[in-house]
Amino acid sequence: MTLIPLLPDTPPDQPFAYLRDSVVTRARFLAHVSEVADTLPDEGCLLNLCVDRYHFAVTLFAAIQRGLLTVLPNSLAPEHLAKVMQDHPGLQVVGDQADNPVPSLPWQAVRLQATASTPHLPMPMVDFHQTIACVYTSGSTGTPTAHYKQFGRVRLGILGGAEVLWSKTGGPCAVVGTVPIRHMYGLESSVLLPVLAGGMLMEDVPFFPADIADSLARLPAPRLLVITPFHLRKLIESGIPLPPVAAILSATAPLSAELAQAAEQAFGSRLVEIYGSTETGQIAMRETARETAWQRLSGVQLVQRGEETWAEGELFAQPQLLNDVVEISADGDFRLIDRKANMVNVAGKRSSMSFLNATLLQLPGVTDGVFFVPPRSQAQDVERLAAFVVAPGKTREEILAALRAHMDPVFLPRPLLLIDELPRDGNGKLLARSLTQLVNTHFDAKGETA
Amino acid sequence: MELDTTVPSQPDAALQSEIAGLIVTALNLEIAPSEIDPEAPLYGDGLGIDSIDILEIALVVSKQYGVQLKADSADNTRIFASLRALTAHIAAHRTK
Repeated sequence: MTLIPLLPDTPPDQPFAYLRDSVVTRARFLAHVSEVADTLPDEGCLLNLCVDRYHFAVTLFAAIQRGLLTVLPNSLAPEHLAKVMQDHPGLQVVGDQADNPVPSLPWQAVRLQATASTPHLPMPMVDFHQTIACVYTSGSTGTPTAHYKQFGRVRLGILGGAEVLWSKTGGPCAVVGTVPIRHMYGLESSVLLPVLAGGMLMEDVPFFPADIADSLARLPAPRLLVITPFHLRKLIESGIPLPPVAAILSATAPLSAELAQAAEQAFGSRLVEIYGSTETGQIAMRETARETAWQRLSGVQLVQRGEETWAEGELFAQPQLLNDVVEISADGDFRLIDRKANMVNVAGKRSSMSFLNATLLQLPGVTDGVFFVPPRSQAQDVERLAAFVVAPGKTREEILAALRAHMDPVFLPRPLLLIDELPRDGNGKLLARSLTQLVNTHFDAKGETA
Repeated sequence: MELDTTVPSQPDAALQSEIAGLIVTALNLEIAPSEIDPEAPLYGDGLGIDSIDILEIALVVSKQYGVQLKADSADNTRIFASLRALTAHIAAHRTK
């Protein structure tokens, strides 16, 4: 058994986290972790639904200290939660809400004491192989799939990322994240990066551009902004001035070089894009404004088997299949050749066209239909999907309501166009060119519905 | 005497339909602005608006009225509770 410290060996009195009204030292953070750890059950697993990032981090590390698994669902949609509860009998909700957000499960409130004195506690040690978290992918079939993460491996991935990132920013940063803390990207970059790699954690999860500027202004430099491509574009369009930001981190959806350059110009910072997935965590980075090749993080090896590329190395308990077709260069860095056919990414959420089409076709009253990516007047980072539907006697609203019960709302077609029939060929196939022709009759040259 | 705050004044009614038009255009919704129920939640089932759209609306509102929406004290939920609530917020905070 290899034991590693729960937190890095930084000076105990060094600032560790920024709360709305105070600065927390590492010793104080550890005291909070210990305080919450004392209240946790001896066994079972925890559904950490804390809203505040600081409470979330304290509760996560308290669970790690106590050897308890933290379960991080993709969403709280009833269908998803049912699968999560089935995977984890004995699941208990912990959260900083006033009331239990999931009344069907047992619940424990997270309340931190505001004691003035901070005991200097010994650093807890954790087994490298301790399974600390279960994260979920939505799965191309729509069935949520669980992925388990071990403490030592997650930590190595974070340190590998920090090595690259801190070299670009001139040192560990205070981190503002606009991204969900229970998804892999937000968990790694806005929670674990500051906690495990010497940065500073912030409790806010700002949303509107003015909130993002405020949160950044409350932190000392160097600052890191963790954001998604869509949110970044809106932040640039808002024209709101930001305090100096050493680097902006982007992930969850492909970022164009044009948007990366616009961000660097607008905020005078470096734009660093992460390549990764829920299954692998972060495995590579690049400065998208200037680079097309991805730089692997230390500890990651890529192995090609036919068309497939697998990530291997100490970071992974088992080799992990990448979602993309890639070309590996002699130095081990790589370029994406193709996003896997059939997969779509809307605002950072992945699904497959075949799942979406199958879901559409099984709706009562729908006799035929197909999802497609609508033409747009300008390059947008978030592409809404559209759909042609043949459903005599049904209204758009009825079909949308039925779809909403089966898929994440970001995939709902906008527009949903009702037509009399799809131009299928003699074999019943819908050829790509027939679909394109049909699309062209419904959209004008600017990408608006005609 | 207490003012009845549930009925919008005339200028607010004009503002309300203007904002409804902005929302429909910005989000590419396939409905007429007048079809938005002023009392219904903007989020969720009604219009099918999600957080991506909320950010889009925030941008349009800041450009058009000079109102920077902020999520302080979870106002986000209240402001987007309905078209009427959003209109009231903009009417109270607009700078142009």
